[in-house]
Amino acid sequence: MHVTLVALAASVVAYAPVTRPGVRAHALGGGGQRLAAGLAGWEAQDTAGRGLYGMGCASCHGRDGRGGERGTNVAFTVAVPDFTDCSFSSREPDADWIAVVHEGGPVRGFDSTMPSFAEAFTVEEMQAIIDYVRSFCGESAWPRGELNLPRALHTEKAYPEDEAVTTMSADVDGPGRVVNELVYERRFGARSQIEIGVPFGAAEAPSGGWEAGLGDIGLGVKHTVWHSLAGGTIFSLGGEVVVPTGSESAGLGTGTLVFEPYAAFGQILGSAGFVQLLAGVELPADTDKAAREAVWRGVAGWTLAQDRGFGRSWTPMVEVLGSRDLEGGAKAAWDLVPQLQVSLNTRQHVLANIGVRMPVTDADVRSTTLVVYILWDWFDGGLFSGW
Amino acid sequence: MAGRSMRRLAGAAILVIPGASTFLAAVPAAPETGVIRGKVNVSGTVTFAGTAPPAVAIDMSGDAYCAAANAAEPVRRRTVAIDGEDRLADVVVYVKEGLAAGDRVVPQEAALLDQQKCMYLPHVVALQTRQPILIRNSDETLHNVHVRARHNREFNIGQIRGVESRRAFSTPEVGIRVTCDIHGWMSSSIAVFDHPFFAISGDSGGYSIADLPAGEYLLEAWHASLGTQQQRVTVTAGGTTTVSFTFQAQ
Repeated sequence: MHVTLVALAASVVAYAPVTRPGVRAHALGGGGQRLAAGLAGWEAQDTAGRGLYGMGCASCHGRDGRGGERGTNVAFTVAVPDFTDCSFSSREPDADWIAVVHEGGPVRGFDSTMPSFAEAFTVEEMQAIIDYVRSFCGESAWPRGELNLPRALHTEKAYPEDEAVTTMSADVDGPGRVVNELVYERRFGARSQIEIGVPFGAAEAPSGGWEAGLGDIGLGVKHTVWHSLAGGTIFSLGGEVVVPTGSESAGLGTGTLVFEPYAAFGQILGSAGFVQLLAGVELPADTDKAAREAVWRGVAGWTLAQDRGFGRSWTPMVEVLGSRDLEGGAKAAWDLVPQLQVSLNTRQHVLANIGVRMPVTDADVRSTTLVVYILWDWFDGGLFSGW
Repeated sequence: MAGRSMRRLAGAAILVIPGASTFLAAVPAAPETGVIRGKVNVSGTVTFAGTAPPAVAIDMSGDAYCAAANAAEPVRRRTVAIDGEDRLADVVVYVKEGLAAGDRVVPQEAALLDQQKCMYLPHVVALQTRQPILIRNSDETLHNVHVRARHNREFNIGQIRGVESRRAFSTPEVGIRVTCDIHGWMSSSIAVFDHPFFAISGDSGGYSIADLPAGEYLLEAWHASLGTQQQRVTVTAGGTTTVSFTFQAQ
């Protein structure tokens, strides 16, 4: 999911303290005294978050945070999430959990068995409960989902991901060229990811006529070297090996093996903004077929969420692409890519991004390209779930 | 505090006799059209034919709070209101067909659905579209109120003690199931009408719908587990019409 801190900020700002029609049942400190008596042993001196969890959550989510040690009369069969599973919980930003607690399961395409607690707890109390729920996962190696910044059209994210993306690019001027790339990314361990990218498409030959086929397949690995939720920072190192499976004659491939190491950086700005940077080099094995290149990219954007901050998320961004041959005397090529990412379904795990890649340098000989992707965060559910 | 006064108002507006079901009197709504039409009371008794299954105590031992709250008098799941008799309480009786379209005044007094000692009180709530309903948790434990509407918007509210939520329904719908997912035995139902001609039978099995204009109607009686019964009735001016219903075991 790519809902960032803005959703939380917007919900705190836009929602305002709850005005309940009835009497406030408790103050933050006194929550422990009104614990769900069905669960003995939760003492009044517990921290506010733990006490509130005991009062409002443990009956269904269990004292252990995974549905165990709860009342025997629960009448639902839907599985509750396992908060002790760091792989699952670490990648969920607070904003999404607050949305579900506040609005109920259906706000993210989950079952209506999860109620809306907007009239039982203030947003501050929900944050205290979620801070307590975080303690069910004891491992700090996992980077938090807030650092999973929105994926730009071209720039690799620093965050390790479990997702599949299909990106279509079509040149709108110059010789025809339409490319579709399928990318599959999979996490392993707490901070690493492998990926495979398969491009295929069609290009118009100088002699006229189109040639279609497979491009150069890329295999990559990425590892998060450092992350800090408090600082809003994430830094990763990665590398890709591109195999010359594409037809060189058709203009779909380079004809040589290429090694592409890179460094990726992400930084949250304020409550809703972010910047992402990437720097890398492309090192072809056969420098007669392709030149060695330095590549640098930057993205800046911010996320807005509809519906008091709980609904569909929109992320306008601008991407800057730069590259320069490492041979002497080469000139840098620059492109600007304004784009807009939007979540498509209520689970917000299927997203689309549409943008235009505009050459800044050599615009007379380089094409403008329309670029669109559909992204599916397959860890969060099937492609057709959560709509 | 605003919350307290609203609770008193809600308590006064709904005729709740502790231990008995709600007996909701209809609010007259037929518009003055220049033709004098008689207003008639329709009343009757709802009974159960055959031998009622014995009342079964609900096992709340899995929840310490609920078990303690009901330790003195365990709650029984019963078909007939009083053992050995044949009267059915909690049956919603309403006009299903025959009403002329007309203006009605939507009552502003809220209907009330409370949770006490881990049971919904009352067992059945009937109200009009756009009439407010207050849903309250009077227990010292967490409940959720899952209103499984199909023609209205479904919702599920988590309530700790003292929380009072205000809602309203936009569309007529009978038999909206209300459940608590934490306490599986808790079950209630809501009936929503776009007219005031409905009532719920009490422990005596009796119901009364007041001020029905003269005419021909189809009355329907709905029970949470015994289904529905229907009867046609012709209501003439200046009298009382008696319509009784009998439910069979399913």
